[in-house]
Amino acid sequence: MAAPAGGAGGELELQAAIGFNGHILSGLICHPDKEHVLYPLGCTVVIQDMANGKQTFLHGHTNNVSCVVVSKSGMLVASGQVTFMGFKADIILWDFKKEELLARLSLHKGRIEGLAFSPNDLYLVSLGGQDDGSVVVWSIPKREAVCGSPASARSAGNATVLAFSRCRDEMFVTAGNGTIRVWELDLKNRKIRPTECQTGQLKRVITCVKMADDDSYFYVGTSSGDVLKLNTNNKLMSDYGPQKEKFSMGVTALLLLKTGDLIVGTGGGIVALCKGSNYKVMKKIQVQGTVTSLTHRGQGHQFFAGTNESQIYRINYPEFKEELIATCHNEAIHDIVFPLGTSDLFATCSKNDIRVWHTPENRELLRIVIPNMTCRAIEFMSDGRSIISAWNDGKIRAFMPESGRLMYVIDHAHSLGVTAIAATSDCRRIISGGGEGQVRVWEIGERTRKLEEVLKEHISAVSCIKIKKNDRECVTASLDGTCIIWDIVRFTRNQMILANTLFQCVCYHPEEYQIITSGTDRRIGYWEVFDGSAIRELEGSASGSINGMDITSDGTYFVTGGDDHLVKMWDYNEGEVTHVGVGHSGSITRLKICPGNKYIVSVSADGAILRWKYPHFH
Amino acid sequence: MSAPVCLRGWAPPERGPPRRSMAAPRAPESIYNLLPRLEERPVKPPRYVSTFRPSVKHEIEKSKAQWKTMGPAKVEVPSPKNFLQKHSKEPKLPERKKEQDSRKMPALSVPRKTDHPLMGIQSKKNFINANAVAAIMGLAKKPQPIYVDRRQGDKHLLETSGLVPKYVKKKDYGIIPKYVTQRNKEIKRAQKEHEAYVLESLRKRAMKRLSDEERSSLLQGLKKNWEEVHHEFQGLSVYIDTIPKKMHKEKLESQMKQLEHDIDVIEKHEVIYIANE
Repeated sequence: MAAPAGGAGGELELQAAIGFNGHILSGLICHPDKEHVLYPLGCTVVIQDMANGKQTFLHGHTNNVSCVVVSKSGMLVASGQVTFMGFKADIILWDFKKEELLARLSLHKGRIEGLAFSPNDLYLVSLGGQDDGSVVVWSIPKREAVCGSPASARSAGNATVLAFSRCRDEMFVTAGNGTIRVWELDLKNRKIRPTECQTGQLKRVITCVKMADDDSYFYVGTSSGDVLKLNTNNKLMSDYGPQKEKFSMGVTALLLLKTGDLIVGTGGGIVALCKGSNYKVMKKIQVQGTVTSLTHRGQGHQFFAGTNESQIYRINYPEFKEELIATCHNEAIHDIVFPLGTSDLFATCSKNDIRVWHTPENRELLRIVIPNMTCRAIEFMSDGRSIISAWNDGKIRAFMPESGRLMYVIDHAHSLGVTAIAATSDCRRIISGGGEGQVRVWEIGERTRKLEEVLKEHISAVSCIKIKKNDRECVTASLDGTCIIWDIVRFTRNQMILANTLFQCVCYHPEEYQIITSGTDRRIGYWEVFDGSAIRELEGSASGSINGMDITSDGTYFVTGGDDHLVKMWDYNEGEVTHVGVGHSGSITRLKICPGNKYIVSVSADGAILRWKYPHFH
Repeated sequence: MSAPVCLRGWAPPERGPPRRSMAAPRAPESIYNLLPRLEERPVKPPRYVSTFRPSVKHEIEKSKAQWKTMGPAKVEVPSPKNFLQKHSKEPKLPERKKEQDSRKMPALSVPRKTDHPLMGIQSKKNFINANAVAAIMGLAKKPQPIYVDRRQGDKHLLETSGLVPKYVKKKDYGIIPKYVTQRNKEIKRAQKEHEAYVLESLRKRAMKRLSDEERSSLLQGLKKNWEEVHHEFQGLSVYIDTIPKKMHKEKLESQMKQLEHDIDVIEKHEVIYIANE
């Protein structure tokens, strides 16, 4: 065991991330080289090669990325972030080829709302968020701010979107709630001068803006569901539409075609091809969720649509047919589980759905949707014949693993929702824990589900259940600060571990004479199974609670993850961190080491699934 | 509770076993079947090609008589790309020169409305010194004449008060203005012209007086005429027997009588006016 020397020695290598923050407007961008797509995921920007699916990550932001933009030449990438109230939010300028950070520009407070590159990569314009409300022009060669100005008039609302001219380096457009402004840069005097565009009687909230290739016009989409066409020269609205049947839930994304036609993405999930002259809908398709990004690959024979339900579609222009190419959870993921003996599949559960993924290809194989319900925990039966899941409506549901059909439901399994679930290795029993603190043992027959025993010792929600390999004993962790080791043959309590914490997770050491626990006190405890005595305590994290833990099959290493967004790998005997994985942007809720010790998969509250390479020690 | 909805997101086409049919009793589902399996596709053998193919081809070529051809001669057909194009036969004009530059507007001497003034331009002139020097070197200002009308010492400008005899000191004081003399002259000339005209018209209308010479010559002439007529009368035959003689004598008598009357009228009046008709 030649572990890397020293405390937090190595870094875990991030292999893949399944996730896409679809809530960011125009977050999904197709790179001008037609081979890569960029999208934000938490506090990273992911660059994905479309041909082989290889991902690279731009790490550097300290909080969630709020906007991404690629320059016209494709050499530069800029991304803005969110930060806490009163702090400065960074804009990071990246080199696309070398994938390295070029400059960190910080002037805005709170949040970067929008970014835009000038066509010749001379300037970068950034738009601050609601609390900042300013627009700043940055010089890219000098990496410094040129000038800034309040983004909208005091009588108007906030500016939320930004677009640069496609030909000139001196003109850009901002738009927002009741304001559309064309700005001219006066470099000699270091000033930007706005001209308010007149829309006459129309009062609109602008949600997206797109500049025509020759700069003569720009289009804005509104929350009222229509598109306005404005002239850049006289700053007047030339026309708008559709006049009669507006798009429901607003126009959220726009794309201009070379033919002069428009592709409109709406809040209702419709992607429509509109005629440029009268905005009449010629073709339309329905996708899931609000369309937040539309980006075309090359000249427009193919384009991509990203929705706020974290789906990425590829749409071929001639047929106008959508094809789902990537998807992920868009709510917090609560559990991840591998089926026994294989590393190539895993299942995750979130609000509304359970998804089964293929690990090497990061591909979704199966989705089981129960609308409006949250799945708190899942487990594969060890024979692989069913997926059992714990839901917050107090039901345990079992699904067929291939078709995803419902196999059986145990109604009213727990009164305050089922929070933890585990199955014995002979597939005859399910042990479930509920929000009220009860642990129930169910006998699963061919057609029957019988409640065998109710174990009432915990007084708060059960967070984790682990069963010994011989199916005679199990350990349950609860938020009431106790871990109980049960005899599930006689249904008695063997040992109880008390600590001043909310236990989040518990693991049996593979030799099953010790357990490790951790919880909100950020400590990892080693306990003796036989008498429940504490063996050792480690400081698991400096800042946040530890939510997930898993141990390798040989018991030499274990991994933890928690609210500090770090995945840590520990040596079990030494009690030292050997590797740290940085990349999550939300609290890590669970993590697992795959059965073949090839990957570590961690899931987080922002809906991202990250796959780390298991470090090789030999 | 609502039934679960199952989606297969982009399921791979090369899935292992064929999908279950609904009627047939099927094997229980297993999670491990989800693993994408590489399907061995039966490799197609290459298409059969006869080994005699080239020899057969050669034989057919050989057996065919080269000169036996049918139909029109195979010549190259005109290319559809070389069709007659519109205006292609018209003489070509030389390329139009760019006139953009020549027709450009002359540069304005004043800045445009949209121009922004250059800021931060400053002059190096020291206004304090310049002003001081100008004050020292300049001529002193003359005081303005004023008058004071009340005890309180209220000052007023003398110039506008009316106390300065400006009017009588005027240059053209007491001189008849030029326009008045001009007009008088005009009036006189007009009157003279009018009188002349009246006289002229009177003269035109007055009768002509016969002068003395004219009168005497007139008398002489009349007398001479009378003598001639008298002589003729004296020469008349004594016997007047025919009508023409009688007529002639009567005519002479009446002539003489007329002449005598005329002479008598002229001798009787000293002054004779001739009335103009």
